[in-house]
Amino acid sequence: MNENLQHRIRARLLKLAHFVALFIAMAIICVPGLWVVLNSFRPTVDIMAKPPVWIPRGLNLDNYRAMFGAVGEGGVPVLQYFTNSLIISVTSTFIAILVGMAGGYAFARYRFKGKAAIFIGLMLTRAVPGVSLSLPLFIVMAKTGLIDTHMGLILVYVALNVPFTIWLIDGFFRQVPIDLAEAAEIDGCTRWQAFWKVEFPVARAGVASAGIFAFLTSWNEYALASQLTRSTFSKTMPVGLRDFTSEFTINWGGMCALAVLMIIPALILTFIVQKHLIAGLTFGGVKG
Amino acid sequence: MAQVQLQNVVKKYGAVEVVHGINLEIADNEFVVLVGPSGCGKSTTLRMIAGLEAISGGDISIGDRVVNDLPPRHRNISMVFQNYALYPHMTVRENLGFSLQIAKRPQAEIDKAVDEAAQILSLAEYMDRKPGALSGGQRQRVAMGRAIVRHPEVFLFDEPLSNLDAKLRTQMRTEIKKLHQKVKSTIVYVTHDQVEAMTLADRIVIMRDGHIEQVGTPLEVFETPANTFVATFIGSPPMNLLSGQIAGGEVAIDGGPKVTLPDQFAGKVQDGQKVILGFRADNLMPEGHAMPMEGASAEFEMVVNLSEPLGTETLLFGSLAGKEVQAKMLNPRPVADGERLQFQLDLTRCHLFDAETQQSLR
Amino acid sequence: MSRFRPPAWFVLLLPAIIILAAVVLIPLILSFYSSFTPYKLTRPETLYKWIGTFNYEKAMKSVHFWSAFGRTVLLLTVALNLEMLLGLGLALLVNKVTYGQRALRTIMMFPMMFSPVLVGFQFKFIFNDNVGLVNNALQSLGLTDRAIPWLVDGQLAFFSIVVAEMWSSTAVFAILILAGLFAVPRDPIEAAKVDGCTPWQSFRHITLPYVMPFIYIALAIRSLDVARAYDIVQIMTNGGPARRTELLWTLIGRTGYVDAKMGYANAMGYISIFLAIIFTVYFFRKLNAARSELGMAG
Ligand SMILES: Nc1ncnc2c1ncn2[C@@H]1O[C@H](COP(=O)(O)OP(=O)(O)OP(=O)(O)O)[C@@H](O)[C@H]1O
Ligand SMILES: [Mg+2]
Repeated sequence: MNENLQHRIRARLLKLAHFVALFIAMAIICVPGLWVVLNSFRPTVDIMAKPPVWIPRGLNLDNYRAMFGAVGEGGVPVLQYFTNSLIISVTSTFIAILVGMAGGYAFARYRFKGKAAIFIGLMLTRAVPGVSLSLPLFIVMAKTGLIDTHMGLILVYVALNVPFTIWLIDGFFRQVPIDLAEAAEIDGCTRWQAFWKVEFPVARAGVASAGIFAFLTSWNEYALASQLTRSTFSKTMPVGLRDFTSEFTINWGGMCALAVLMIIPALILTFIVQKHLIAGLTFGGVKG
Repeated sequence: MAQVQLQNVVKKYGAVEVVHGINLEIADNEFVVLVGPSGCGKSTTLRMIAGLEAISGGDISIGDRVVNDLPPRHRNISMVFQNYALYPHMTVRENLGFSLQIAKRPQAEIDKAVDEAAQILSLAEYMDRKPGALSGGQRQRVAMGRAIVRHPEVFLFDEPLSNLDAKLRTQMRTEIKKLHQKVKSTIVYVTHDQVEAMTLADRIVIMRDGHIEQVGTPLEVFETPANTFVATFIGSPPMNLLSGQIAGGEVAIDGGPKVTLPDQFAGKVQDGQKVILGFRADNLMPEGHAMPMEGASAEFEMVVNLSEPLGTETLLFGSLAGKEVQAKMLNPRPVADGERLQFQLDLTRCHLFDAETQQSLR
Repeated sequence: MSRFRPPAWFVLLLPAIIILAAVVLIPLILSFYSSFTPYKLTRPETLYKWIGTFNYEKAMKSVHFWSAFGRTVLLLTVALNLEMLLGLGLALLVNKVTYGQRALRTIMMFPMMFSPVLVGFQFKFIFNDNVGLVNNALQSLGLTDRAIPWLVDGQLAFFSIVVAEMWSSTAVFAILILAGLFAVPRDPIEAAKVDGCTPWQSFRHITLPYVMPFIYIALAIRSLDVARAYDIVQIMTNGGPARRTELLWTLIGRTGYVDAKMGYANAMGYISIFLAIIFTVYFFRKLNAARSELGMAG
């Protein structure tokens, strides 16, 4: 029985260690984010106080009020940025999904010469670092008048997202047995109907996770947006964060408030599809 | 010395108890088969012996040691899984040698043991392939090979043949039997196929809903089932069961004929007691097509609804007292559906169960 | 009269090809061309002056370029490896949890929702030597009474950047590896236990080979995306102080936009593109190797 006891104690200790490690890891993940949320409710004096103020006091909505307030009173046109971000992200995600679905379907269902090469070629376009791309894009967009427009940024984001979208969706369509579509065709569907009625519903989880990734990428992108947008009419929120900085000072409170505004939609979306996210990545990647 | 003992072993998943305090003693070198319908807790029991599942109550010992809290690696067992569980990234050779390598045995010893196992199971040709490139039967053999290289004290098999086709299954069954003769170890084998159980086992353990219903040699459980469940579970076709009542030295089948109370039950039943009469198809035969019956027999008429010729014998499906009853016919002749025949029932081979408890009255 | 009909796959791929050609390929060709000119944004006529490989030679000879290059490779290597290890650890911790795992998974993904710029600002704030969270905490705990110059000292700044980058991206690894752990079949692991493996041995010999493809996918995805680090660095130090945290990307950005030397910046841009492509191709190959090891290729 001694041997048994020893193993039991060891199991208990391991369990405890597991719990402690998990707690520390989660704390490290949460603290920087929560710190931002907390500061968005604090007056700047408290944030910058020396010695530091640990116990929050005087939490208020001043930063939010200032943020949504009129321009010129120290406010930043947040609503305009929010709308820009929303229009650009949603439109570009939608288009990227359509384009990605067509492409992913082509890779999953057809055999053709040079398939592997085309695939790698498409993927590599994603490897081009934003800064390196932003210089020539800047020139092209300036020439074609797309600079500082929604349209310009939407196009760029579609291109940015299409490779990854194709990758994920391709993986998902491969999971759908080809017999399924064939059975539907025998049942009297056209190829088009067979796709929408049979194959698409089965691959929907993949499309959803690709959509989330595309949305998050567009929503959070900075390197390209910071060069290709200039004015209030097209600036997105990540670029708008810079409005809170001036030569020597940073309005931390205001910035934190904008940050919270940026995170909330992403948080909600991610929460809704988090299950698909894992499934999507698994199928798309390994089995593809 | 590797007897296995289970004492009041309980398994709970959360609040649900799936194994209800079972007791079982398995002797050294014994081949014990656990059978039962799907979901009755066979795998769970086996996995508790292996240490893959923690036990919620009771004691398990292997050899002279209580192993309740020991991890599998300290139990000196090996296991063959239903889906073989081969390591897909290793060749057959690596799969076979893995456990010895983990135990840091010298390479020469590993090679020797692996070659020996490969020879026993005729795997020599496939040694450098990965499991992905093997057929079902070959994978099955690798899985067994992996179990034998360690010379464990106890072998555990969880439905190892259920993924094979019928022919291969018969063949592997013989090989497992031979293997047991060669390696001389204790084996606990789970299956839901009663033919497998009957042919392989020294003793059969029949389980239902987390309880053990009967333990015995194949012949015992076939000839003297402890209750109606065992009676229908073991043997094919299943035993015919007809409910009735004891009425003065006779069993009156509900809505059917009366048959004399078989001698072996005299004095074990009371007048008016509700009972279930059980008999196998082999003991009910049409007159003139039966084996001569030595002891007492009963006779009655029955309509044959369907006949299934099987070659040397024909299986007859009749109806008696509104119930389907199966009978057999030797020296067959064609039987028209709906034909009325006189049948003879061998009373010496009849069983009687209490209607309430379903237990044998023997 | 039959008209030419392109094959269906081509029609389906056409939108993707067109958009990538328009947004990525054409600008890249343009920038490739301009990297052979002394093009300056402020003087458009310089676009038509051919100077051969002068810009490339200049980059090759530049100390700034090479130190930025080295630092970028160092950052990528250090950050990707640490993220992979931490991600693996985190995924293993979460995978062992049976109750409340969904919630933990969601928390784990929290940093993925933060825009890299935001991460930059956030850590610039946290590592601020005067009022930052880290120094405040260290001082309040009495571990130091100095203000540690996290973002001013070259090595500390590099360290701070790595921390920020890891906070932002470890989640990607953890999620993907967790997906991998879910996909590991239970049978071989149990078989390994019965075969006598300690928990460490079954991890090492069974689980890890299974999870390897997922690790490479994560590395591939991340290497497609590494330039995200640009946003963080640009905000936290912008290559400073005095170029001590200069990375290829910040160097390119500054040369192109601040100094307006587009031709030279594009030449360096090309070098950074090759760097990214090499990393990506490397991981894709590893991925395929790991897949075929498990018989999952196809
Ligand atoms: N993790 C679990 N949580 C809750 N119940 C479980 C769990 N695993 C098994 N069970 C239940 O335990 C019972 C016994 O399962 P077990 O796998 O031992 O059956 P079995 O006899 O091996 O059946 P089969 O022949 O189908 O393999 C089943 O009713 C099953 O639903
Ligand atoms: Mg089972």
